[in-house]
Amino acid sequence: MSRRRKGARARQTGWNLVGLAVFLVMVFPVFWMISTAFKSNEQVVSLNPTWFPLHPTLSHFRDAMNKPFFWVDVRNSLIVVTVTVAISIVLAFLAAVALARYGFAGRKLFVVLVIGIQMLPQAGLIIPLYVVLARYHQTNALTGLIVTYMTFVLPFSVWTLRGFLLGIPKELEEAAMVDGSTRLGVFIKILLPLMGPGLVATSVYAFITTWNEYIFARVLLNDQSKQTVTVWLSYFLGSNRHTDWGALMAASTLTAIPVVVFFVLVQRRIAFGLTSGAVRG
Amino acid sequence: MKRRSIVALSLVLVLAAAVTAATMASTKKATASSITVWLQVDAQSGWPDLVAAANKQFQSDHPGVTVNVQYQTWGTHLQKFDTTLAGGGGPDVIEMGNTEMTKYMAAGAFTALNKSSFDNSSNWLKGLAASGAFGGKTYGVPYYAGSRVVTYRSDLYKAAGIRKLPATTAEYVSDAQKLLAKNKAKGFSPVYIAGTDWYVAMGFVFDYGGGIAQQISGKWKSLLSSPKSIAGLTAYKNFYLATSRASKTTDETHPNPYDVYAQGQAASIVGPSWFSCCVGKQYTAATAQFVMPGHIKGQAMPGFLGGSDLAVPVTSSNAALASDWIKDFTSTSGEKGLQAKGNIPNATNLLGASVNERAASRSWFVPTAKHWVDVENGNILRNMLAQILTGKLSIKQAAASAGDNIASVLNQS
Amino acid sequence: MQESSSNAAAGTLLGTSRRRRRLWGRTVQGAVPYGLILPVLVVIGAILGYPLYWLVKLSTEKYGLFELIRHQGVGIGLHNYGSVLHDGVFWHTLLRTVVFTAVNVTLTMVLGMLLALLLVRVTTFVRVLLTSGLVLVWSMPVVVAVQVWYWMTNYENGVVNYLLSHLGIGDFYQHDWYATTFSQLSVVTLLIVWGALPFVVITLYAGLAQVPPDLVEAAEVDGARGWRIFLDITLPILRPILLILTSLSIIWDFGVFTQPYLLIGQAKITSGNYLMSIYLFEEGYFKSDFGRGAAISILMLLMVAVLSVAYVRRMVRMGDAL
Repeated sequence: MSRRRKGARARQTGWNLVGLAVFLVMVFPVFWMISTAFKSNEQVVSLNPTWFPLHPTLSHFRDAMNKPFFWVDVRNSLIVVTVTVAISIVLAFLAAVALARYGFAGRKLFVVLVIGIQMLPQAGLIIPLYVVLARYHQTNALTGLIVTYMTFVLPFSVWTLRGFLLGIPKELEEAAMVDGSTRLGVFIKILLPLMGPGLVATSVYAFITTWNEYIFARVLLNDQSKQTVTVWLSYFLGSNRHTDWGALMAASTLTAIPVVVFFVLVQRRIAFGLTSGAVRG
Repeated sequence: MKRRSIVALSLVLVLAAAVTAATMASTKKATASSITVWLQVDAQSGWPDLVAAANKQFQSDHPGVTVNVQYQTWGTHLQKFDTTLAGGGGPDVIEMGNTEMTKYMAAGAFTALNKSSFDNSSNWLKGLAASGAFGGKTYGVPYYAGSRVVTYRSDLYKAAGIRKLPATTAEYVSDAQKLLAKNKAKGFSPVYIAGTDWYVAMGFVFDYGGGIAQQISGKWKSLLSSPKSIAGLTAYKNFYLATSRASKTTDETHPNPYDVYAQGQAASIVGPSWFSCCVGKQYTAATAQFVMPGHIKGQAMPGFLGGSDLAVPVTSSNAALASDWIKDFTSTSGEKGLQAKGNIPNATNLLGASVNERAASRSWFVPTAKHWVDVENGNILRNMLAQILTGKLSIKQAAASAGDNIASVLNQS
Repeated sequence: MQESSSNAAAGTLLGTSRRRRRLWGRTVQGAVPYGLILPVLVVIGAILGYPLYWLVKLSTEKYGLFELIRHQGVGIGLHNYGSVLHDGVFWHTLLRTVVFTAVNVTLTMVLGMLLALLLVRVTTFVRVLLTSGLVLVWSMPVVVAVQVWYWMTNYENGVVNYLLSHLGIGDFYQHDWYATTFSQLSVVTLLIVWGALPFVVITLYAGLAQVPPDLVEAAEVDGARGWRIFLDITLPILRPILLILTSLSIIWDFGVFTQPYLLIGQAKITSGNYLMSIYLFEEGYFKSDFGRGAAISILMLLMVAVLSVAYVRRMVRMGDAL
């Protein structure tokens, strides 16, 4: 009995070590970005890489935050992203339910439309989209950007949520309805909890995609007070002259923080352990 | 029923979104009470005071009209410009790189301007003025320029026993040998030049009297295979092999020459004069600049005259106001201000004696062809240089192939 | 469990005529799915309707900068398509992109599955660490990630060369990873897979959470071992999600633009290392030949559709088992 437990323990440690190794390899570029943010300019360009800046400097962070419009643009990004994600996930969930649980004429057409839109190269859409939005006076407006982002997020979200829904056996809902609960009750008590992980994965993806989106934000927003933080970031690289790498890395680290925060807030919905996912009756 | 409430709810959401969209619209349309100016970020970080001064002058001449300056980045400003040409909402004044002008002038993107309404226009630097002229009319006002100079480590020069700065490329090469003798680190370059840095390489071609392409009775013909151009390319290859340990196939931004300099791996670098900003704290005191010599004593190596023009898009409804703003920004005092920041002003009567400006005494520019940007984007000259330096093709072969390529691109309809 | 058996029957309890209730119920029931998809259709239609029409129209016109300014193109039928399909570069690029996509998608899905399974097996602390690491990777803006990767791999003072040389794997002093097309695209592949793994791993992990542990335990009691359990129980349940992720990966990797364009650098992009999206950008938009760009966009759409049709069809059919 104890030998089996020792074997299991060894296996567990083995897996843990593999996990740590994977972590180190995956995270290395992120570590490099963050550590560069703390390096002096000499260490940034030097031939011998500096692993841990022993005398970290906060000057790059200060330069980044003092660059005009930083806080305004962060606020704009947060507004655009939260509104986009909130509305999109709701609408996409509804559409996904329709696709996964109902048979109706035109269903296949809708699916083809949803997946077809994602196959369109975005480069081709920039000019005509601008023309459309200009007609509605939505250029240089956050709402115009929100609606644009929704059209990119919706197809993907519908597609993914539908997949998660298909993975939930119908028998659960039918059993619950036999028990007397209404359709809506089924949604809330059965589907939503099981969809938790799927909703989280999809909304995190939507959050990150819209948070990091650059080209449409650049083209659609003119006033620096209306721009998003990715556009703000591009000003570090936009000049023909010298680029301040330390400040750019510091700025990038700062812009990554809200994403991590968002994920931490929603991650509890993802099953950290197989048992919590099996919300079985 | 509950189902209906879900449907109703979602319809309400959509309606709400639509209503908010309609009411929250806030576009700053260029009306007679404001004009929009697109400048590159270089102005925002380099000379914001000059922009403010121009705005102040403009507003005192036109009370009630505000100036909305929006800063653009080099990578995306043309894409943005294209969308505004298609959908409206564009600027009244736009800063364009001087190599970008011809394509847009040929397409009719700009309003013709009255040359004489701008300060010093009769003395505009020839190279700059050419980039803003098309079909006999003026569409672009030269804003500022920059040439190529040598940024060098005076301490390394002293240590190698070099007493005077080189007056010909041959002297420069022998200086390089002295520097190599004293600096034996692996990868150290007496003169760091990236292999495919065509801005430097073509200088040699023009130094020998050669050229890139010429328009003869409407058709573009390549000049790269002429004996003079071949001589120039040969001179470049020899100079490069003797003095630079950079990669033969990489360009001048991978890595930046000033970063190599800051690492202590270069004794001198050839590039714009603002390179001196970023040579590293430990070398700033020992850094100085000189004009790159040509192969004949007393003549500078022709430097690429990079720069920007200011133009008025044809979609603007405030052409007169836009022209006035440009006049205020490129006024004599404005240009003097730009000169003080290390740029080359736009007129010969304003030229001073800085290294940058002396280097502009001999300059070269790209063919003013509608499709020149396609030649640049297609990296035709870069590929040619890589082939020559790696020895993949002989100089004659590489020049011939590149020349044919360039001619066919430029002669497209 | 043995109470009333249908909605209609339940409706009777509300005391109105059963027949009227059933008819009304069925009409509303029939309208429900349409109501559910309506918002999505409205948003997409309002915004993308015109651009899609514009793209198709432009692909049949000569439409350059000149025409753009005048808002008027010259109809030339299928000439744009003809010129693209006759372009040798187009076909070479297509082949290169197909191979590139296949490699990327395979690596992403295989590594993604392995990492998701790993997440299940490690202890909580390592799992949180790994997931946080994945989210950090995910949260890096692409432009910045490219920049960092470029630094790590640049020939001058890149960390990768330094590490490889010091770990004794060989002499990589100033090795230029961007010298050959194969090397360039390999580094781009690593970058893309690295960036794509977080989403795939986290989604698959979420999918694994839907696997009922009682089923797994029952199978273990029956004597089945890890591999069999994976094939017989886990994989079927994950099938919808795997199909989705694969089809999405194909679509994204075929059309990827930012990473190869920025990592290889404008100065080194040539017709010899084009990927489809870069070909579209260079031949269409950089040259301001919008008509040609529109034609290439539509061709790309058709190609991606062809590449992913097998997966998409399976996905669509999956929902048919209603």
